[in-house]
Amino acid sequence: MTEPQRPTNLWLPDDDSWFKKAVFYEVLLRGFNDSNDDGTGDLVGLTEKLDYLEWLGVDCLWLLPFYESPLRDGGYDISDFFNVLPEYGTIGDAANLIEEAHRRGIRVIADMVMNHTSDAHPWFQESRKDRTNDKADWYVWNDDDTRWSEARIIFTDTEVSNWTLDPVRGQYYWHRFFHHQPDLNYDNPEVAQGMLDVVRFWLDLGLDGFRLDAVPYLFERDGTDGENLKETHDYLKLLRKEIDTSHPGTVVLAEANQWPADVVDYFGDDDECHMCFHFPLMPRMYMALRREERHPITEILAQTPAIPDGCQWGIFLRNHDELTLEMVTDEERDYMYAEYANDPRMKINVGIRRRLAPLLDNDRRVAELFHALLYSLPGSPIMYYGDEILMGDNIYLGDRDGVRTPMQWTPDRNGGFSKADFAQLYLPSLMDPVYGYSAVNVESQQRNPSSFLHWIRRMLEVRKAHPVFGIGSFEVLSAENPSVLAFIRETVDEATGQRDVVLCVSNLSRFAQPVELQLAHFEGWVPHELLGRVPFPPIGELPYFVTLAPYGFYWFSLTEGASSTDPTTEIS
Amino acid sequence: MIDTATLEKVLHDHLPKQRWFAGGDDPAPAVRVASVKVLKGDWPVLLHVVAEAAHGAAGATPYQLLIGLRPPEELEVFLEGKVEAYIGEVETELGPAHAYDAVFDPELAIHLLHHIAPGADAERARVLHVEQSNTSIIYDEKLFLKLFRQLSAGGNPDIEVTTALAAAGFAGVAAPLGVWQEDDFDLAVVNEFLAGGSEGFALALNSLRDLYDRREPPEACGGDFAPEARRLGIITARLHLAMAEAFGTTDPDASAWAADMVGQLERLGDVGIDTGAARAVYERLASATDVGRATRIHGDYHLGQVMRTDAGWFVLDFEGEPNRPVEERRRPSSPLRDVAGMVRSFHYATAVAIRDRGDEVVDEELAELARAWEARNTFAFREGYRAVEGIDALLPSDPAACDLVEASFELDKAIYEVGYELSHRPDWVVIPRAAVDRLLEAP
Repeated sequence: MTEPQRPTNLWLPDDDSWFKKAVFYEVLLRGFNDSNDDGTGDLVGLTEKLDYLEWLGVDCLWLLPFYESPLRDGGYDISDFFNVLPEYGTIGDAANLIEEAHRRGIRVIADMVMNHTSDAHPWFQESRKDRTNDKADWYVWNDDDTRWSEARIIFTDTEVSNWTLDPVRGQYYWHRFFHHQPDLNYDNPEVAQGMLDVVRFWLDLGLDGFRLDAVPYLFERDGTDGENLKETHDYLKLLRKEIDTSHPGTVVLAEANQWPADVVDYFGDDDECHMCFHFPLMPRMYMALRREERHPITEILAQTPAIPDGCQWGIFLRNHDELTLEMVTDEERDYMYAEYANDPRMKINVGIRRRLAPLLDNDRRVAELFHALLYSLPGSPIMYYGDEILMGDNIYLGDRDGVRTPMQWTPDRNGGFSKADFAQLYLPSLMDPVYGYSAVNVESQQRNPSSFLHWIRRMLEVRKAHPVFGIGSFEVLSAENPSVLAFIRETVDEATGQRDVVLCVSNLSRFAQPVELQLAHFEGWVPHELLGRVPFPPIGELPYFVTLAPYGFYWFSLTEGASSTDPTTEIS
Repeated sequence: MIDTATLEKVLHDHLPKQRWFAGGDDPAPAVRVASVKVLKGDWPVLLHVVAEAAHGAAGATPYQLLIGLRPPEELEVFLEGKVEAYIGEVETELGPAHAYDAVFDPELAIHLLHHIAPGADAERARVLHVEQSNTSIIYDEKLFLKLFRQLSAGGNPDIEVTTALAAAGFAGVAAPLGVWQEDDFDLAVVNEFLAGGSEGFALALNSLRDLYDRREPPEACGGDFAPEARRLGIITARLHLAMAEAFGTTDPDASAWAADMVGQLERLGDVGIDTGAARAVYERLASATDVGRATRIHGDYHLGQVMRTDAGWFVLDFEGEPNRPVEERRRPSSPLRDVAGMVRSFHYATAVAIRDRGDEVVDEELAELARAWEARNTFAFREGYRAVEGIDALLPSDPAACDLVEASFELDKAIYEVGYELSHRPDWVVIPRAAVDRLLEAP
């Protein structure tokens, strides 16, 4: 009898639901730390910074693609699934990074592109030669470009069709994204198996899972728009079954930029993806901030269906792509544009490309409020590198590069990211007076105990101590004041009946606000503010009255029965 | 169970202290207990009592009370700080007892819920508010019980309308889960509680605070209310279409509307309104032929009667204007009367938000922003309203006629407000008076 192996996870707790309690940290390998001074971040550079990430308190790194690639789409155009892009290092460097991360209790997942390859991939190069070669059916070929016209064109700025004529083979090939990214043909069993081999290869190396890029488009069928097809779900179920057997405790996080009611299909019956991104929550948080009222948030959460027990949403404030507006209505999209993008250069496709800090006018109070929400709303938070120091962006860089500038470590040359010449950097470091590395960097914030970085670290500490933030139920409380968002997270220990209850109250307004909360069902319980462990007056029969500073928030843990440290009893 | 004479005696003191007592300043109404019904016969006892109070020549008004009884030695903690809820000491078959308003007794409130909606269950009860005409209790933040205080025969309009609207498929209303009726009287109703919702007026004030602080045009402010106002217009039109479906429509007599309006103007007396100009507006209405259809309407429609929930806007309280007789409230009228009510409410919101600031001098810039906010949201509301398919059938076909009818109802409402403020909050009268002047200025 063979036990499933757990290759290098010796340092990690044996907990298959780790991802529900984890805080993820999205790393742009290219921009994180350059160990060999060639102007580009690399695997060894990231490994050198693991001590920092451990100090910060994140649980899992999410790496953007680091595979061999001609880099015409930021590495999402893979030309060899089994090799690392030489600029980033070697397979050995990758294995070492994973092992060193595990040693520090940090897991590592990576992007994997299932839908397509680069046109430079040897599979495609062979496939295009003629119609009879070994790989002839590995991609989706057709004699004309009219089939599946129901499928929308995703990159409307650059692409005019989902078909492109290949002059060598004399046929059209299918691509849902850029024309240099031909879609793999999953109807071919060799492709379906081949991609499972890819997945297994990296799990064998120690990866703890994948974020699957653009999953809704794996299959094509006549008369459909080619999105969310049953065949696609069936393949993901097969993949899940394979890795559950061979590599238990690993996670599949799906990128399906759809409305939550459709996204839930990707959880299957707890037998498909472990996690999916919750896309519409993010724009709604920005909208709630602008309107200074909770409804944009509570509305989208009310429209979010329940998900299977073993699954979790991935929530985020910003990531490497633009602020996604695909998932809001036209009216809301216009509104978001009007609020956030007075400068047309900030618009791209249907999104907004800014980093968190500039989006929030660099208001520390709002940044704290947003992170408090990120860490307490249902789902596992996914942070974007640099947001922990409130890094800025450079909107004058093309495409989506504005939010992909080098991590700012020190006030020294190139922000401590690289010792290469400035001109050699993959993108210029920020040097403006507000967000430049002399003003915003890890070193100075580590030295300053009241910095945002220290605040984030403290929040992550508190969150880690309360798994209820990851796994608790979620209930919005009624509040007459529309600017206040109050909710309860709660878990009940099945064995002991012990209840772990957290009350989160947030003020979305720039003015101080009062609120009365109906907490009569917790009568006699005592709220302890979680950051300072300060006991508040016990909850009585009357509505619980709380006043909040502008953009203020409280996290309370509720404890049953009178507290021995109740300030009112201490005084007497 | 209880000695009626002592009960009448304590109620004689108790009733005038209640917000829902319509006797006004009459300190000594003649009280007669018309009926006593025992809903729960052991401690704590729950009684259903109908007491008639006669004040002056107006005749006797029946009031509904739910009275809790507990033995004298029991300390009613739930009555702490609620002096007005305590009725007095009475003699009962079980011995002497404290009598009190049972809605405040969590145990008896649950008993009451089971009595009205046997399928419903709850663990906690709290009194939400005591209104002029009713008292409401919230159970577990999920159920909402409304207890009518003044009883009138022929059924309560709110229950009648919400039931009919829900049956007509209107989504913006909480349909009754349980109704308590005796003979021809509606006594109480249980609805789903719209948890997590925000009252329209609170949202409007939130938007206005943002506006007055930013001092930029309303469309440039983050708190812009127009998208909500537009959605509110849509739900209002759907409400009227559902009303038309449930209650039918009639061919209205605009001269009767105008006569009512003139009547109100005359009753108000001389309060500095240009009555000549007002009469001219009403005369034009009276002679209008293209005035749309009449149907059952909300009747007391304003921002305080709508609730923004995570499932969209909901419309509350179909009692109609509490000061009008029930028969009059049921009478079909122009849907534009509701539209006018909401438009008046937008104006009130701008003024209340300015009052709330407590500025010592009038800030002309804010006044201008307020007008811009009102205009923008009125436009968005009307636009949403008129965009709903089918609503044209209820409205005058000519846009100018539409404006005339709506403006007449707006004027009528503003004049009603002048009277209301003069007798209740005299220093607020500037708000509706400004509206009257503005409406009469218009060509």
